[in-house]
Amino acid sequence: MRKLLVALALLVPALALAQRQYIDVGSPDFRPLALAVTNFPAGPGAQADAIDVQQTFRDDLALTGFFDLLDPRSFLADASEGTSASSIRFTRWTDVGAEGLVKAVVKREGALVTGELHLYDVRAGREVLYRVYKERTARALAHRFADDVLQFYTREPGIFRTRIAAIRKGKGSWDLVLMDVDGKGAEVLRRENTITLLPAWRPDGGEILVTSYRSGKPEIWGFRVPDGTARPVISLGDLASGAVYSPDGRSIAFTASVDGNSDVYVSSADGTGIRRLTSDPATDTSPTWSPDGRRIAFISSRSGNPHVYVMNADGTDQRRLTFKGNYNQTPRWSPRGDQIAFTARDERKVFDVFLVSPETGKIARVTQDQGRTNEEPSWAPNGRLLVLVSDRGGRPQLVVANPAGDRQRVITADAAGVASPTWGPAAP
Amino acid sequence: MTGESALTRGPDRLWPLLLASVALHAGVFAAAFLARPPAVVDLDQKPIVAKLVRLGEKRPEQWLPRRDVPPPEAAPRAPDAVPIPVPGPPAPPAQKTVALPAPKVAPKPTPPRPASATTGGKGSDALSRALDKVRKDDKLASKERWGDPSGVSGGDATDASEGDRYLGLVTQALQASYRLPATISEQERAQLKATVVLTVEADGRVSTFRFEKRSGNAAFDQALERAVRESRLPPPPPELRQRYRTVGVGVNFKV
Repeated sequence: MRKLLVALALLVPALALAQRQYIDVGSPDFRPLALAVTNFPAGPGAQADAIDVQQTFRDDLALTGFFDLLDPRSFLADASEGTSASSIRFTRWTDVGAEGLVKAVVKREGALVTGELHLYDVRAGREVLYRVYKERTARALAHRFADDVLQFYTREPGIFRTRIAAIRKGKGSWDLVLMDVDGKGAEVLRRENTITLLPAWRPDGGEILVTSYRSGKPEIWGFRVPDGTARPVISLGDLASGAVYSPDGRSIAFTASVDGNSDVYVSSADGTGIRRLTSDPATDTSPTWSPDGRRIAFISSRSGNPHVYVMNADGTDQRRLTFKGNYNQTPRWSPRGDQIAFTARDERKVFDVFLVSPETGKIARVTQDQGRTNEEPSWAPNGRLLVLVSDRGGRPQLVVANPAGDRQRVITADAAGVASPTWGPAAP
Repeated sequence: MTGESALTRGPDRLWPLLLASVALHAGVFAAAFLARPPAVVDLDQKPIVAKLVRLGEKRPEQWLPRRDVPPPEAAPRAPDAVPIPVPGPPAPPAQKTVALPAPKVAPKPTPPRPASATTGGKGSDALSRALDKVRKDDKLASKERWGDPSGVSGGDATDASEGDRYLGLVTQALQASYRLPATISEQERAQLKATVVLTVEADGRVSTFRFEKRSGNAAFDQALERAVRESRLPPPPPELRQRYRTVGVGVNFKV
């Protein structure tokens, strides 16, 4: 009898388990974290700096799409509340919906702007981050703060001290411009009076490769950062263009047209040791390296229309990756390796930015119904944001977007228009 | 009384028949119960993936995908976007460009575009052509929700798959409230997996929630509990009520 009971006791849960059905729930909606940023108190003579730091800091965090910055009007500043966790009434911050709370103090020390940053976990009711910095400008201080807060939550290096390079076309002039990730702090690295296209950073940030018509035909030139000194890198056949450094900075992949056939080539960083990787009679162009440097994605029209292809870095195992659309171009492999961003023309003849998984070939859309042309995507070094060109406001301007496309911001307002952005490497 | 019908003498004649019927039924049920194959304990039961395909026209295979939810900002310009400073006159190619003056921070307001009110033969032709084009584009643009002619109106998938209808609705309900903090990094996301078991009452209320397998990431596990609490599951069909109240349903949450 006892044996029977034991057997029954064992059998009943097993039977129950056998009958239970399981469902899969995936693709969550990633919800921004609610962050309250109080007004930053200023030391003597630092009022303007404090406002600048706070505004830049807020803009930086908003750009990422990870944070929902609470409207300062939704909470009333309590003058008696200091920066020590014991003086903060966290229940008040919970009531306004804040999950994180940021406080900072900004002061001036001669030519320098100093600041201390405090980040609190509202639910836990304690301070989780404290930093003190001295910087030359309020914006530099704000970018540091933003990098720290981003790093705290994502456990990855921030991107707010990186620079974006782009080409601004004027009347008979091509400017290679550098700007902060919010489009501010822009400067011209070099003004050219011949066609200058397709800039691409060296991974250490010390040089930008461009396609230049300085000697009458497209060639690869390098402009040194930050002084703009130019050096010739590659000249081959009728045309050499679209050069990109490998992730280790030792090789360059580019397109060249020799005897009228456009193919993908590689060379060493000094332009020597040129090798051809593709040989199809159709056009092969626009190489981009995988982050491990072992593969190259490129565009080929060998199927009749331009599509994204992938091959090993030595040119072997060339295979087609995209089968949708009929005009796919400008591939850029994410620094994370899991996506390749590209521009494609859809059935309504508008250009938009898409992502394709190099493993599965699955395509996702980033931009849609936002002007007639959204193109030339380039990844932030953390692979969490893209910069692209959009004509949604008239002239082409730069837009920073998250890969999901649900957070987008126009960051430039240039009368001439800006094109070919390339996101620089992480700050050392 | 020989002429009496069988019906009028019912009670006497029907009893044996009724008894025989009951015995026969009992025998059949007993046989069916005893002959039942032993319960198969399958611990690796494959999860059912259920999607409700939206009713609609099938989007051509070779077309690029369209988003169901368009990006929120249709065509805004950031109010604080700044112009890039202009350097001096173009320098000769071989020379270095000198450092630039500080950028002008004052944003240039965009002059309002005058409303075009073209009238007249040629102009109105061009206008009507342009309008036709816009209408055509709008027509294409409005077709944002593609589906399948055999789909259902509440469906949310574009491609078809088999699955239990109720579990499909449960999946849909949980999916709607499945939100995670955007700050969970990509590296962490790839690892995140947890299995929970829910028991569901006749009215769709979740009566118990327990982890069969935790992810190990507190923020993720907390978010799952919240997602289930905030979801509204549909009432199970009457014949399955007992099963969902006792055995429950397992949910594999992943990213």
